[in-house]
Amino acid sequence: MDFYFSLAQLIGVHTLLGLSAYIVLLTGQVSLAQAGFFAVGAYTAGMLTVLAGWHLVPALGASALSGAAVACAVGFPALRVKGLMLVIATLAFGEGVRLFFFNFDYQVAVDGIRLGPLGGEGFRQIRFFPENGWGTGEVMLFMWVFVIAAMALLWWFDRSRYGSVLRAVGEDELAAQSVGINLTAVKVSAMTVGGAIAGVGGGLYAHYTTHIEHSSFNILVATFAIAYPILGGLRNVFGTLLAVIFVQGFLVEGLRFMGDWRNLLFGALIVLAMNLRPSGFLGGRRRA
Amino acid sequence: MKKLTLAVSLALCVGTAYAQNKTIQIAGFGAKSGVVRSFGVNSEAALLAAADVINKGGGVKLADGSKARIAIEFYDDRCNAEEGISVIRRIAGTDAVVAVGPTCSNVAEPLFGILQKKVGDASDSGLQFPVFTDVAIKVGLAKISEWAFRNVPNEMTMYNSLFYWLRTTHPNAKTVYGGVEEDFAHSRATWYLVMKGRAEASGFEVLGNSKWLLADTNFATQVREMKKANADVVAISAHPFTTCGVLKEMQRQGVKPKLLVGLTSSSSLETLQGCAKQAEGIIIPTSFAPINKEAINAAQSTAKFKGNADLHSMAAWENMFILKNVMESEKITGTDVQGDRRKIRDGLAKLKTTKGLIGVSKRDAEREADKPYLFVHAKKGEWKVLYNPL
Repeated sequence: MDFYFSLAQLIGVHTLLGLSAYIVLLTGQVSLAQAGFFAVGAYTAGMLTVLAGWHLVPALGASALSGAAVACAVGFPALRVKGLMLVIATLAFGEGVRLFFFNFDYQVAVDGIRLGPLGGEGFRQIRFFPENGWGTGEVMLFMWVFVIAAMALLWWFDRSRYGSVLRAVGEDELAAQSVGINLTAVKVSAMTVGGAIAGVGGGLYAHYTTHIEHSSFNILVATFAIAYPILGGLRNVFGTLLAVIFVQGFLVEGLRFMGDWRNLLFGALIVLAMNLRPSGFLGGRRRA
Repeated sequence: MKKLTLAVSLALCVGTAYAQNKTIQIAGFGAKSGVVRSFGVNSEAALLAAADVINKGGGVKLADGSKARIAIEFYDDRCNAEEGISVIRRIAGTDAVVAVGPTCSNVAEPLFGILQKKVGDASDSGLQFPVFTDVAIKVGLAKISEWAFRNVPNEMTMYNSLFYWLRTTHPNAKTVYGGVEEDFAHSRATWYLVMKGRAEASGFEVLGNSKWLLADTNFATQVREMKKANADVVAISAHPFTTCGVLKEMQRQGVKPKLLVGLTSSSSLETLQGCAKQAEGIIIPTSFAPINKEAINAAQSTAKFKGNADLHSMAAWENMFILKNVMESEKITGTDVQGDRRKIRDGLAKLKTTKGLIGVSKRDAEREADKPYLFVHAKKGEWKVLYNPL
């Protein structure tokens, strides 16, 4: 059973990553910066629980804040550009964050052992869960509290005036601006909320793996982040969840028995899924 | 009549032993896809080959005196931390009593992190499952968990010995320049924590180092830096794929150091297949070479399962025989999976020495091996023993 609980944890973490891109995609922006916010959240939570001895809950709060703050700061200049330029700008940011952690050393002695980020060597021993006796089932429930909270928040946004504004900007910026919507404020706020969700996801990820390093936050992670909501569809948040289950549960884990063929099928099945459901698994009012 | 009774009894005994058809499951895992897939493919072949030899020899003797066959199942973790964790949890959910793997150090670190740190610590809910690593070689990983064991060479000892030997046999070589595959845990750690310091300790002057990434295909700038340094010794801490790229670029730019030193993991067939000509003369310390009958047999058996014998895959081979001995000495039952896992862990922890293919390995308190080694060099498309300190 532990394996399934662990898989559910991983699906939860990836769902948060996907949801962080979902809200940005609603505004019609394609951001590859989510892996960067995810990394900021991961290192923040890891350092606070391991080096400062914080409980995980406030550490995740700090992850959310740090992810949101960085996303907000990035959002102002980055969202002045659109389309492919934005993709390149956010990609550059994500790589910048990764390279920052590649060179980031901050170790302190905890019980006589030096712990903390050590550049390319990574950051090991982020063992809040096992050290506090949490079973895999408990960890799964804990993680899914955050996933459900994020989904509920975005669900609520979608049914509020704010959600309509996000979608209006995504549908037609000019029309939205002509009715008095402040485009920069809307885009930056979506980026900030996305950064907070990615920060929490990163914090949980660090404690799931117990070891993080720069390569854990590479371009592939950023690609998966936007692939989930696109594959799942932008009609509602459940599309993202469904896409994560499809990719992580079916393509990665379900097909493991196929060995080398799995990698070939991985890409082929995604292409097939996109062809069969061009608007995503759960459809959508617009395509990203 | 007596003879008939005896024959029937014997047949029944033998029949019972085989009819029980007991199996002990051992899981292997590692990278069978991606840039480093050859390591996983070779490890799987070595595990299957060793299991085949053990099974043909009667299998493993259990606590009740019966014999059990060893069954191997190998899982691909794609050299990815998340997948490595999923794989080990999946394995722990099967009847496997021990796992051999992983390939990559960046998988081993998180994977050891989810294991229980101290055995018997009730407050630690980490996974209680023995892992006996064959490939992931980055220094000092087994100390992360008391359920983690490694049978990988001690690079600190090997490079210490190699640079000392180079210093004494080539007194004219005085300077070293490094090349490091910066984004791969093993290569990076080996240069910064091992090679560089060991070279200096042996009296070499380290002039600097060039950096590249595992996926890089252009090394012009790095080799230009190397050429500018004009060191007597160039030490390349990189895996076969980029080692070959760098060696080819060195040839193109006419960089010809007096001595070339390579990373342990590059003493493999992949390097010779990729750049035998450019690698000519490169010296690498290794914990395996087919220098005796047993090692030759192991290599041949592994080849039958479509794998190459090198220091990594032959560690997987050795692990199987070490595990067989431990399972027999600890008297595992073959029925109580968790109990057997604990017995295997305790048995591995007790070991002070183990028998390897080229000699006896010492085991330390941090569950690491100090394996015998020798220096090989590439000569006419083959790895030849250059110096055997055994």
